Amino acid sequence: MSVTSTSPYITKPRTGTTIGRLWAQRNDLFLRLVLWLFLAAFLLPFIWTISASLKTRQELYVELPSLITLNPTTANYAYVWRRMPDFFMQFRNSFLVTSGAVILQVAVTAVAGYAFARLRFPGRDLIFYTMILLTFVPRAGGLMAQYELMSFLHLRNSQLGLILAFAAGVPIPIFIMRQTFINLPSAFEDAALIDGCNRFQAFWRVMLPMATGGMLVVGLFEFIRVWGEYLFTLTMIDNPDLYTLGIGIAMSFVGLALEDGEFTSYGAEAAVYLLTSAPVLILFIVFQRMFIRGMLEGLKL
Amino acid sequence: MSNGFESRPDAAPRRTVWSNWRDALRTARQGRVDHALMGYLFILPALALYLTFSGYPLIRGLLIAFSDYRYLIPDHQPFNGIANFVEMAGDPLFWESFGRSLYYTVIYTPLNIGLGLLIAVLISKVLRPFEAAVYRVIAYLPVVLPIAVALLLWRQLLHPQFGYLNYFLSEWIGIANPPAWLADKEWVIPTLAVAAVWKQVGQNILLFLVGLYNINNELYEAASIDGANGWAQFSQITLPLLKPTFTVILVLAAGIIGTAEESLIMFGRTSAGPENAAMLVGRYAYDIAFYLGDMRWGYAAAMNLTMGVISMLMAGVIFKLLRSERAD
Repeated sequence: MSVTSTSPYITKPRTGTTIGRLWAQRNDLFLRLVLWLFLAAFLLPFIWTISASLKTRQELYVELPSLITLNPTTANYAYVWRRMPDFFMQFRNSFLVTSGAVILQVAVTAVAGYAFARLRFPGRDLIFYTMILLTFVPRAGGLMAQYELMSFLHLRNSQLGLILAFAAGVPIPIFIMRQTFINLPSAFEDAALIDGCNRFQAFWRVMLPMATGGMLVVGLFEFIRVWGEYLFTLTMIDNPDLYTLGIGIAMSFVGLALEDGEFTSYGAEAAVYLLTSAPVLILFIVFQRMFIRGMLEGLKL
Repeated sequence: MSNGFESRPDAAPRRTVWSNWRDALRTARQGRVDHALMGYLFILPALALYLTFSGYPLIRGLLIAFSDYRYLIPDHQPFNGIANFVEMAGDPLFWESFGRSLYYTVIYTPLNIGLGLLIAVLISKVLRPFEAAVYRVIAYLPVVLPIAVALLLWRQLLHPQFGYLNYFLSEWIGIANPPAWLADKEWVIPTLAVAAVWKQVGQNILLFLVGLYNINNELYEAASIDGANGWAQFSQITLPLLKPTFTVILVLAAGIIGTAEESLIMFGRTSAGPENAAMLVGRYAYDIAFYLGDMRWGYAAAMNLTMGVISMLMAGVIFKLLRSERAD
């Protein structure tokens, strides 16, 4: 063979023909085949829901339902728009609670993370690591104790109560913010202090703007957590006017007895599921790299 | 490696949360102090929120487990020692639901970790950054879905007559009588567990991937020069170096045995599936605490505490097993 190569491969693939090229890539192709089998399992429920939401009634109940619809209709979305006013109220409630919790949590954890990373005061590390340690203790009766507490504070059946309780899950977010501030070069802060800033100005004008990445990670994880939260909201909210989406859709679609084969309109149901998930799906796809970063921080724990 | 992630040299010895905490306790009264007032002011809002809505309920909840607290009876919360736990030991409904939860956990946990690792390894072999990013996004999509949407979506798919899955099984694969899934008491638990895996496995995939991307490629090159093939590389390099990832994943998975949400979402408040087949222990405790009789919080908290301790022990045992396997 005229090819001299340092490659550890003994045989050189025949690269002339298409088949030769495919043969050379057989491992790659096999890898993708297996991978796509799994990925199909993740994707098919989404595809099915999207197509169900675009189908007419007649199309949904035919003998052989297809996975893809050829005549998409917006009738199901129109139905949700006209006949399900509760859905939009619940959407608004979810949005209010989620954005409130995100803003509050990002604000308090950014400030606290800076203090834990950059300021020195007695008990600093002890407070920090105690909080982290306590996240590993099982929450026996936590829900009952929270119910009691929220009743006492008149925060049951209150959106403010939900916001405060959701924002209070601070240990991991503080960990992420602390890590963010530790990783920032201190030269910027020192320069600001030399230029006559006081410590607060150095934090507010110099350090905080550089920590937006960490704040984004905290905010994204909190948004997705609160938007999808079910059990706590179910326990704290009895007033149907305050239902969030998770509670609302479970209430409207699960009243039917599954055993009896009773049935609502698949199409409208699917449309509701998609509209409910749209905010988190869009946020996730836009900021997907931030999630990897969040995972990286989690592994340092 | 061209995945867009840099390998991190693992120089520092791994610290645990526990050892960090002990160090903090030891050095709490030493060290330089500056801006103490500002420091306390800065942590105050977060700490106040945490102590009120998270720290206090944690301790209060532990105390409730040792009392005969009945919420609907005014001022009825006498301390009763371990009476709740004794009652639990003789409660056939508890043992039934505990058995279901064990069954659920035994299906859920290995699938969740095994599939997570397998798919992560496959994705880590994809070297084109954009392609790998697409796979990561697809795998993580179900994780960001609200849990109610994910489960109700499966409820639609699994409908015995109109669901797409049974249509597919009978018309395409040719299985004459596919199971009725959630309407069949034998199938309820496995079905719930698989739906939950579908929802959560992306989390593990991403955690494993981060761990895999962090393994220095030179280790594999050195190993293949020494003649170690795929499996040997996997068991001698990949698995041992994924230890921190396993720790995080086990901690995250520990709560699963006490889960209450799934059956509440799938079957609503008033039902726990055909013949109560989805009455997991977490759901049983939730019903006792909030739906049944005079809301026996003490008894429910005792059950939750038991489940919490059991899940911690299970995670601990698995973790020890993993470690000893690597030692030899």
